[in-house]
Amino acid sequence: MNILETKALCHDFKGLQVLFDVGLTVRQGEHHAIIGPNGAGKTTLFNVITGTYRPSGGQVLFKGQDITGLQPYKLARRGLGRSFQITSTFEKQTVFQNIRMGVMSRMGVRFDCWRRVAGLDSVARETEEILASIGLTAEREVLACQLSYGKHRALEVSMALATNPDLVMLDEPTAGMSKEETHATVELIKRLTQGKSMVMVEHDMDVVFTLADRITVLYYGSILASGPPGEIRENQAVRDAYLGDMEFSNVF
Amino acid sequence: MKRHLLWLMAALAVLIVFPFIFGPLQTNLMVRFAIEALFAVSLNLLLSFTGLLSFGHALYFGVGAYGAALILTHLEGIPLVLAVLLSGLAAALVGLLLSPLLVRVRATAFTMLTLAFGQLLYVLCSKFREVTGGEDGIMGWTTPPLRLPGVFSLDVTQPLYIYFFALGLSGLGILAMWYFTKTPMGSVMISIRDNQKRVDYLGYQVVLTKAVIFCLSGFFAGLAGAIYAVFNNLVSVGGVLHIMVSFQPLMAILVGGIGTFFGPILGSGLLLMLEEATQAYPELAQMISGLIFIAVVLFLPGGAISFGARLRGWWQKRAYLRKAREIAA
Ligand SMILES: Nc1ncnc2c1ncn2[C@@H]1O[C@H](COP(=O)(O)OP(=O)(O)OP(=O)(O)O)[C@@H](O)[C@H]1O
Ligand SMILES: [Mg+2]
Repeated sequence: MNILETKALCHDFKGLQVLFDVGLTVRQGEHHAIIGPNGAGKTTLFNVITGTYRPSGGQVLFKGQDITGLQPYKLARRGLGRSFQITSTFEKQTVFQNIRMGVMSRMGVRFDCWRRVAGLDSVARETEEILASIGLTAEREVLACQLSYGKHRALEVSMALATNPDLVMLDEPTAGMSKEETHATVELIKRLTQGKSMVMVEHDMDVVFTLADRITVLYYGSILASGPPGEIRENQAVRDAYLGDMEFSNVF
Repeated sequence: MKRHLLWLMAALAVLIVFPFIFGPLQTNLMVRFAIEALFAVSLNLLLSFTGLLSFGHALYFGVGAYGAALILTHLEGIPLVLAVLLSGLAAALVGLLLSPLLVRVRATAFTMLTLAFGQLLYVLCSKFREVTGGEDGIMGWTTPPLRLPGVFSLDVTQPLYIYFFALGLSGLGILAMWYFTKTPMGSVMISIRDNQKRVDYLGYQVVLTKAVIFCLSGFFAGLAGAIYAVFNNLVSVGGVLHIMVSFQPLMAILVGGIGTFFGPILGSGLLLMLEEATQAYPELAQMISGLIFIAVVLFLPGGAISFGARLRGWWQKRAYLRKAREIAA
């Protein structure tokens, strides 16, 4: 079964068409990577799927239901989580408070002005558990903006997972990280998304081949190829498209 | 925690004996302080906790004040507390009615929209003479006593009783808002301030949460306005809806400490003291408050409430340097 499916998805920014009839399918439980050169439309694809913009054409199905143009908070409640290419945390709040926002939403404590948030024991316990599992317990009282770059990125990804989504979409989780940070983040993602469906945009081919069960190649707004890593590696169209691109040519 | 409680008790004790030690003049000043502080804290809920700058908070203050004046003029025999609460609710209702528009805009657009609504009500109230009395306003109604049947009946036109009435309501209101910032919804509010997009993506309804905040902030601003009406026995557009009425609490927030909960209370007190000290020279007062304002923005951006910490930091740095020099020598 497909947990996510887009049908003939199109998007244009006031006449500049960025997505052309994109038909992406993500199967239940699979780890899917979207690759493609800068400006291919990967982030835009994420944005129209998760409700940042309403697509100018086409359809998005999530768990078999039409979710085209649904607002982000509704999608989050249906079990779709997302992290951002440009880190987007609550920078003036502590790591604990950042994760707690995700946990509160998961537990349905969204509209409560009677109890003290500090008195919600189950929320606090759950938050501590997540902090331990992502290795940020020592930084629990540190403001998000004071974290090292790598840890801030890890927090970004962990917030998307703190709501315990059925499908999590990660936009370049390792962007700008050092080799060690990338390695640690890959391990983290592997552990946290076990048994979950996941879609990630990623430029680092090592990361892609470590994490992905299937790969979709997006090229100037169209899908060039989609399939298991071995197949993509051998695909002639993909090779042609990336010919001359340093980053990819040494991988293929 | 224990120490905080002790301080709170001490402050309460001082406030209770205050009107018996000081004269009616100072007591009345405290009433104005209670009104200003409640008003400033309600605005601060938007400014410091939701990240929205409003130039039209007099709108809610005015609705509360006019509401109380109209209710007390036309509904004889209504209990005082009920009249005041209804006035607050009227202001909350205005917040609710405006929220479909206000939740959609942020930053400068929000500021301009609030300014526009504030000015709109100012003009409307000036023109609808039949209801609002126009420029003259509404005055001279008989304020009912504060009554708990069979227990007490207090004449709030006396300084002593308006003092307890105003301080009690204002204190409860501030306490309620403080509690709100500590609730889950308060966390959502603060997170909206920090990153609205992320709040949305985590599954919270930003629009609805903001609407609740507008109602809440409007209610307490309206409550402040209603206390003002009871205290002054006079409500006019100049006194409760003028743009300066919107700026007064903004000044209090900035002078007292933006980004803190209690700063605006301190700021309200400081501004009132300044106003009293320069009462004889109104022009001078405006100039001085302007200068203080500039000084705070330039030299103490955390406001008066951060003064202690700044001083301590400075002292520690000095001591540290002295020690370093001694070791070096
Ligand atoms: N809000 C916007 N308004 C106008 N054009 C946009 C907007 N967002 C993106 N674009 C354009 O759409 C195209 C695709 O951008 P997008 O961010 O989706 O690429 P991407 O594949 O995520 O690239 P990268 O690898 O650099 O993150 C680019 O040409 C970009 O300039
Ligand atoms: Mg991108």
